Amino acid sequence: MEVTAELDDKIIALIAASVPGKFKKTKITVATNLQQELGLDSIGMLALVFRFEETFGIDIAQLGLDINIAKLKTVADLIQVGREILDKAQIGAA
Amino acid sequence: MDEAIKVIDSHCHIASEEHTPLSFIEGSVANMVVALTAQGVPVSAKKLMNIFMNKMQDPLGDQLVAEMEAAGISKSVLLIADFTYALKDCRLSIAESFDRHREVMLRHPGKFEVFGGIDPRWGKDGQDLFERSLTEFGFSGFKLYPPCGFSPSDPALFPYYELCAQHRVPVLLHIGPTAPVLDFTISYPFLVDTAARLFPTVDFILAHGAVSFVEECVMLCRFRPNVYLDISGYQACLGFDPTAAAVRNIVSLGINHKVLFGTDFPVFRLQGEQKDFVQVVTAQGGPLAELNERDKALVLHRNVERLLEQRAVAVPA
Repeated sequence: MEVTAELDDKIIALIAASVPGKFKKTKITVATNLQQELGLDSIGMLALVFRFEETFGIDIAQLGLDINIAKLKTVADLIQVGREILDKAQIGAA
Repeated sequence: MDEAIKVIDSHCHIASEEHTPLSFIEGSVANMVVALTAQGVPVSAKKLMNIFMNKMQDPLGDQLVAEMEAAGISKSVLLIADFTYALKDCRLSIAESFDRHREVMLRHPGKFEVFGGIDPRWGKDGQDLFERSLTEFGFSGFKLYPPCGFSPSDPALFPYYELCAQHRVPVLLHIGPTAPVLDFTISYPFLVDTAARLFPTVDFILAHGAVSFVEECVMLCRFRPNVYLDISGYQACLGFDPTAAAVRNIVSLGINHKVLFGTDFPVFRLQGEQKDFVQVVTAQGGPLAELNERDKALVLHRNVERLLEQRAVAVPA
């Protein structure tokens, strides 16, 4: 598994890539609200999930994980879920 | 957020593929695929369908009730859209769909009102079912989905409106675009005007009137005493407008006695939960912030309560 800080940076970079232009100048911290401060609606959240899968070469559905996108409110939530997904993927690959 | 204020959701559906045909959902998913593909995101319609269908597994309303509780929503209006005439891949007949909704209503006492929907092309059978829904099932309104292929002023609907007048229950009709498998051209609000004029004792609610054909909906609300609108669908704009300016706009036009709060659950379940959608509207500095307490109450619960309280028949035990 990647070093945690490096992983977090990758996830934050993915978030930054999904943020619509109007919100590009918003500083992204772990406390930043995905919808209210970064303008990520359902399409934006789905884009983020699919880019995550592409970046890390995984299929979340095949891991048997039920990710509730609606519960992901902040960058910290997303990082936490991202770690869980990659942990699960690592266990599956071991 | 004002902790004490009561909230009634005037626009909800049961989250189940039993009541929403796959062709309807596939059309909506097709729009998502186009949007995501344009962003260079690798996605398939099948994968998106699976994600969406995971949010449609609440046939008994248990998850909805839990979300209502968390959101401070005391009651929701469940709407039955009758797709069974226009779309041939419906799992249930409309009569079966009515039965399921009745079961959900009885399972969660006091939590739901139900507006039954009938495509007028079902003729006398449809009228009989609708009447039974009012006299036997305890339903409290009529739901219309004109994009299925009829105008809300089609004379075939007049017997239904006569029943609504007799039982003093409101009609809620879809306004604006919908799933691409249906006809957008008959979702224009002024199509209801003839019916609203001919049936002045029947109240008509324009669903999504804060986001679709807003100017026309506001005109009708202002000049037809029996026309209202609901704000459901405001969540569609939250990505580029997190402050819900569409709601702020609609409550600034002098028609707050005609505006009803609604969420359109489960349409936006990928975007948030009911408490998120209530919070956006009721937050300090949010779209209702400049209203006095009376107007806030009208929008969040009093208007729909007023419409429901007119009902002339007793609710069966």
